[in-house]
Amino acid sequence: MLKNHPSDNTLLEFSAGNLPSAVALCVSTHLSHCPECKNKVSEYNVLGGSFLKNTIKSEPVNFSFDQLMQRIENDQKDAESLLPKELKISKEKVKTAFENTNRVNEKVITKLLKSNEPLTWRKVSKSLHEAVLKTGQSTHEVCFHKIKKGGKVVEHDHKGVEITVVLEGSFSDESGTYKTGDYIEMQPGNIHKPRATQNSDCLCLTVVEAPVKLTGVIGKMVNPFISFRPR
Amino acid sequence: MLTAVQNRKDSHEARPVENKDLVKSKHHRDDEWSVLLEKVANDRCQNSFSRLFDHFAPLIKGFCVSNISGINADNSDELVQEVLLKVWRKAESFDAKKSSASTWIFTVMRNTRIDYLRKHSKHTNNVVDGLEADDIWDETLDHQPFVYLQQSRDAQLARNHLSTLPVEQARCLRKVYLEGKSHSEISQELDLPLGTVKSRVRLGLKKLQAVSMR
Ligand SMILES: [Zn+2]
Repeated sequence: MLKNHPSDNTLLEFSAGNLPSAVALCVSTHLSHCPECKNKVSEYNVLGGSFLKNTIKSEPVNFSFDQLMQRIENDQKDAESLLPKELKISKEKVKTAFENTNRVNEKVITKLLKSNEPLTWRKVSKSLHEAVLKTGQSTHEVCFHKIKKGGKVVEHDHKGVEITVVLEGSFSDESGTYKTGDYIEMQPGNIHKPRATQNSDCLCLTVVEAPVKLTGVIGKMVNPFISFRPR
Repeated sequence: MLTAVQNRKDSHEARPVENKDLVKSKHHRDDEWSVLLEKVANDRCQNSFSRLFDHFAPLIKGFCVSNISGINADNSDELVQEVLLKVWRKAESFDAKKSSASTWIFTVMRNTRIDYLRKHSKHTNNVVDGLEADDIWDETLDHQPFVYLQQSRDAQLARNHLSTLPVEQARCLRKVYLEGKSHSEISQELDLPLGTVKSRVRLGLKKLQAVSMR
């Protein structure tokens, strides 16, 4: 069983639909590895359902049931396109995207790769590679990190809340070892020195929240996305 | 409603009451709305769908209008229609063994609302390009069969339970679900430290669980 989970507060916000999509993406990736949290979210959904049941009713005025059925008939074609599509991305492509690691287990990551192929990997340091994804938004940076087996990442601070989900392999820092599926939230000011385990590369999904804009001299010195970057 | 998770085997053994509930969870839910929704799923029954429409359309609208920023009385009908359209289209994936109709419709509404706001609002922060709400809030991940109390008692219990909570805990939970507010927004609004809001929410959840285990 996994040791590192999103907090109950985070799972509740996921259930309520209030989490920013990038953070929800991390939770979702964790859920595909964690029956325990899946069950919690299912429970919280029941709470959402009872809020819905007990809402004060308000009658729609601009459409009737017949109009809805009319639209359903007209939209039959759209409906077909809404059916779950086969993910066209092949195992080979996934392999290339992640440079020969053997995965992917999470549907959502596969889909994410599809809209970001080909990934552009950037060498951050000898043992760390990074691929930043296009997300179409500015509050969170979403990227993949790969630490070479046994590789060390230079000690670093976090300028905004940083969430990491281990997709493959494992890494450790001063506080413990993180395995595939683990969800790790680092607060600004948390300093750590991650290191991949000896026998395999470690692949992670990382989401960094853009920090609150600082003004003045100090603000100019702070790079918003310097996570995992060597000093 | 909120009960122990199924995979905690040890607690099942320790609590005979839960074993009884576990047996119940193997049966289909027999509340009226779940039965109707299954008919829509299996037979594409328009009559059943019409009854679900009459019941849920005003609830969905009520939920959206009073609670969600970016939605007002003018555009809410459009959203309600989108939700019901999706209920019809996705009905096949409803599984009465895993959730009740109202829980399932809540999640359909949640995902539709996320996509709707993304398309119609100027704030584009809630986007990860290439992904839709259904990809992230994937129902195969967040509808698990779990130990639950019998559906017919559900609504009543939920109402009672929420009313058993200390006012400030219930208020926080309400703001999360009904007003769609993040913990930090709640902390700003109520002028409370973030940690206080978080612990009120957690205490509320714990209390709801404790009550429904009785
Ligand atoms: Zn978990």
